[in-house]
Amino acid sequence: MKSLRKFLAKVLGIFRRGRFERELETEIQDHLTNLELRFVQQGMTMDEARYAARTAFGGIDRLKEANRDQYSFAFVDQACRDFKFAFRSLRKNPGFTLVAVITLALGIGANTAIFSVLNGVLLRPLPYQQDENLVLVRQELPAAGIPRLNFSVQDIEDYRNQNSTFSSMVEYHEMSFVLLGGEDPQRVQTGVVSWNFFDVLGLKPLLGRTFRPDDERHGAEAVLVLSYEYWQRGFGGDLSIIGRQFQMNDRVHVVVGVLPPVPQFPQENDVYMPTSACPFRSADTFVANRNSRMMGVVGRLKSGVSLQNAQSDLSVIANRLQEQYPESYPKSGGYRSAVVSLKDQITGNIRPTLWVLLCTAGFVLLIVCASLANLMLARLLRRDREISVRVALGATRRQLVRQFLTESTVLALVGGFLGLSVAFATLDVLVAFAARFTTRVQEIHIDGRVLLFTAVVSIFTGLVFGCVPALTSRRDIAASLRADSRRASNSSRHQRFRNVLIVVEVAIAFILLVGAGLMLRSLVNLQEVDLGIRAENVLSARIDLNFSKYSNNETIRRFYRDLLERLRAIPTVTAAGAGSTFPLSDQPRRITEIRFKDRAIEEPQARIQTNAFTASPGYFQALGMPLLEGRDFSDADRSGSMPVTIVNRSMARHYWRTEGSLGRQISIDNGSSWLTIIGVVADSRKSLDAEVEDSFYVPLDQLPVARTILIRSTGNPAKIAQLVRGAVYSIDPEQPVDSLRTLEEVRSESISSPRLTMTLLSLFAGLALLITATGIGGVIGFFVNQRRHEIGIRMALGAEHGSVLWLVLREGIMLISLGLLFGFAGAFGLGRLMTGLLFRIRATDPATFIGVAFVVIVVAASACLVPAYRATTIDPTTALRSE
Amino acid sequence: MEQTKSEVLQGTLDLMILKALDVLGPLHGYGIARRLEQISNDLLRLNEGTVYTALLRLQQQGWIGCEWGASENNRKAKYYSITKAGRKQLTHETKSWERIAGVVDRVLRLQNEQ
Repeated sequence: MKSLRKFLAKVLGIFRRGRFERELETEIQDHLTNLELRFVQQGMTMDEARYAARTAFGGIDRLKEANRDQYSFAFVDQACRDFKFAFRSLRKNPGFTLVAVITLALGIGANTAIFSVLNGVLLRPLPYQQDENLVLVRQELPAAGIPRLNFSVQDIEDYRNQNSTFSSMVEYHEMSFVLLGGEDPQRVQTGVVSWNFFDVLGLKPLLGRTFRPDDERHGAEAVLVLSYEYWQRGFGGDLSIIGRQFQMNDRVHVVVGVLPPVPQFPQENDVYMPTSACPFRSADTFVANRNSRMMGVVGRLKSGVSLQNAQSDLSVIANRLQEQYPESYPKSGGYRSAVVSLKDQITGNIRPTLWVLLCTAGFVLLIVCASLANLMLARLLRRDREISVRVALGATRRQLVRQFLTESTVLALVGGFLGLSVAFATLDVLVAFAARFTTRVQEIHIDGRVLLFTAVVSIFTGLVFGCVPALTSRRDIAASLRADSRRASNSSRHQRFRNVLIVVEVAIAFILLVGAGLMLRSLVNLQEVDLGIRAENVLSARIDLNFSKYSNNETIRRFYRDLLERLRAIPTVTAAGAGSTFPLSDQPRRITEIRFKDRAIEEPQARIQTNAFTASPGYFQALGMPLLEGRDFSDADRSGSMPVTIVNRSMARHYWRTEGSLGRQISIDNGSSWLTIIGVVADSRKSLDAEVEDSFYVPLDQLPVARTILIRSTGNPAKIAQLVRGAVYSIDPEQPVDSLRTLEEVRSESISSPRLTMTLLSLFAGLALLITATGIGGVIGFFVNQRRHEIGIRMALGAEHGSVLWLVLREGIMLISLGLLFGFAGAFGLGRLMTGLLFRIRATDPATFIGVAFVVIVVAASACLVPAYRATTIDPTTALRSE
Repeated sequence: MEQTKSEVLQGTLDLMILKALDVLGPLHGYGIARRLEQISNDLLRLNEGTVYTALLRLQQQGWIGCEWGASENNRKAKYYSITKAGRKQLTHETKSWERIAGVVDRVLRLQNEQ
């Protein structure tokens, strides 16, 4: 209580100091006047009285000082003094200050930027209610090579009705529909969801309402909820949007609500509709078929239920279903169900990358600390005299240490402030980067937590690099004050400490370079992957036919036949084709069950699930996929003619090995019709980091489902984009065409995130190497200065230039080797962090380690060469005379 | 005369000021210094400035309060007065002072007998 009162008085004192001092001044003055009066009355002269009064009163300044200490914190005063002094001394050394502030700004800025992403994506809770209870439910057939099996209506019903751990379970799938009724026909990304989807997430509408149970009733009026982004983008945030009607899938859809601006899961959609409004989802045949799997499932666990409990609950249901319907849940496929936390699911992709980046940024900051500590030490040696004088004048060790720490903290705070602007400037790039992994990027901001992080990191950095010189300064004043202060006893201590710092820097630079090197190697590996297509000069485009207009197969066939004909008529076009998707495309793939007519295949009961594609004649040519056996599809493979298929090499090898696959028959409709294999096409991959999978292709005419067109031309494919658009519009002016991109663009975009990761890592590593090289150059330069005399003697005694050079270089190489030794150990341990980011290269890849070590040695040793060369130019006579 | 003046014992100045304020009522700094001089019959050697340090210390403990008033010669002066907590402290301090003084006294007497 007492100490609290004292403390408060002191705090108040900081603000009221001026008044206190004035009051005290008056009191003292009155006191003195009274004393003088009294002494005069006792018979003294005026001068005598004044003197006597002063003597009786005692030291006025000491009194004031003592009082000041009582009503304020002494340290506030001292801190003000320290700060003033720090600023003055930093201003006097603009070179040092500039270098320090810039390195700090880069180091702290990098950390702030990466942390702001990490904060927005990983640390903040999802903007849904009680996000820890939200989970994603999955079905898997791992043994059949199907890590994710979608859900059918019946799957969902069974899981929903039989579980005991979920308070609700909702379904989700996305579709692409054409919305009419705005200015232009628009393709809208549509989320098709259970009526209580938004209630389960805990999302309240911004306008209007979300869905109600009757909306999902069969035959209910079709209603839409718009996403905030689409509402802004498409309708300028029109408040009267509720109740507006649109045509979609040949039905009237009424807008009933708008969502708040939150990241959507599992992907950003333009509009949402209840399941009853989706023409596919609500079709009777779809609902009745247990194997028509299209949907994803999100659930909310009952409160208090752990993931494990939910998992075992679902496993029981999975086993039950497997026994009940062995055909639908093949045992040989290893059927099982699983729950994953929604947050992990949304942020899981970016997590390893972010942690690696934050670690890297942390290392950069560490190296910045080490190099600044080094600079401070060097500066300390130059300030030797100044400090000795201060010690001689009575500065205590504590005051000196405080002075160093204040200087370093001031530097770090200025650096941190600039670092914030670095973070602000780079945030857009990072957000674009993060957007490739997660939908949470809108939540990335420089908020209070990020600012706090920056402040803490800055202060901490300042203390760390400031305490190094503070701790090593134990001085022998007498020695320092003597003329030969260069020989002062503490310089060898400093030198040793600087050596340690250099070893640390080399080790960290090595670790960072290894990280960048591994990333670079894995990027090269990615780029060298043979996709199985020739991507040069190919233009791709996405076409989603309006379901209502192209409702029967014949209209679709006619559209594509017309379109391809027109495309082929463009002069530079050498091939054009249409198909369901193509390698590298993010279009959903279709996985189909197949049966074999010849029973040579020993997988008795298994339903074999394989990638199915559609392809028009010219599709393989356009993609540059060579036909290995048999023939390509031709215009003769029509709806009425013999059903045919082309399999890829992997599938042909898998099932028929050497017996030959041509002429064999497979079925995709449970044996009611049979497709004859007429050709074998080369393998391709669906993405650069994917393995080759079994696939087969059916002619577009026989299965009219297509979403993409591919056009190979002789010139720059981007040039014909307009012609392609024109060709589509000439057939159907209401038909949208989008994602017109060359395959090379698609390809380079598909590796843009590893490339950006690599760029960031290289940038960090390069920075680290640069800092290390300058550091080691400085230290070796100092070494030469220290041994000027010795080198002079050696040279006077006839030492060769070479041996002097070696004397100096040896010192540098010793430090580098030590650093590398630690670096190897560190990189070996930390490499594991990166495993998830690497492609076809191990985190301990010896070639990378050796190559990087070589780079470090060459760069660091050349930094030592400059001072080493200077050593050879020492003139022995001057060196000896100067002593 | 000079030799017979005693230094003020550490901590006793506060006690004396408290006592003076308790007995004599509100006083200003100069007044306190004069009273201490009077009471001690000029035997105390006191830097009068230290009175102000003691006053501030006592104020921060909440044992005395202060307000501005007019002095005898009609100048503005700061008057200090003892507070309730100050009285309590005074009783407490007085007791402990008497105890210590008693002990010291006994010890000294013991030395005298030998």
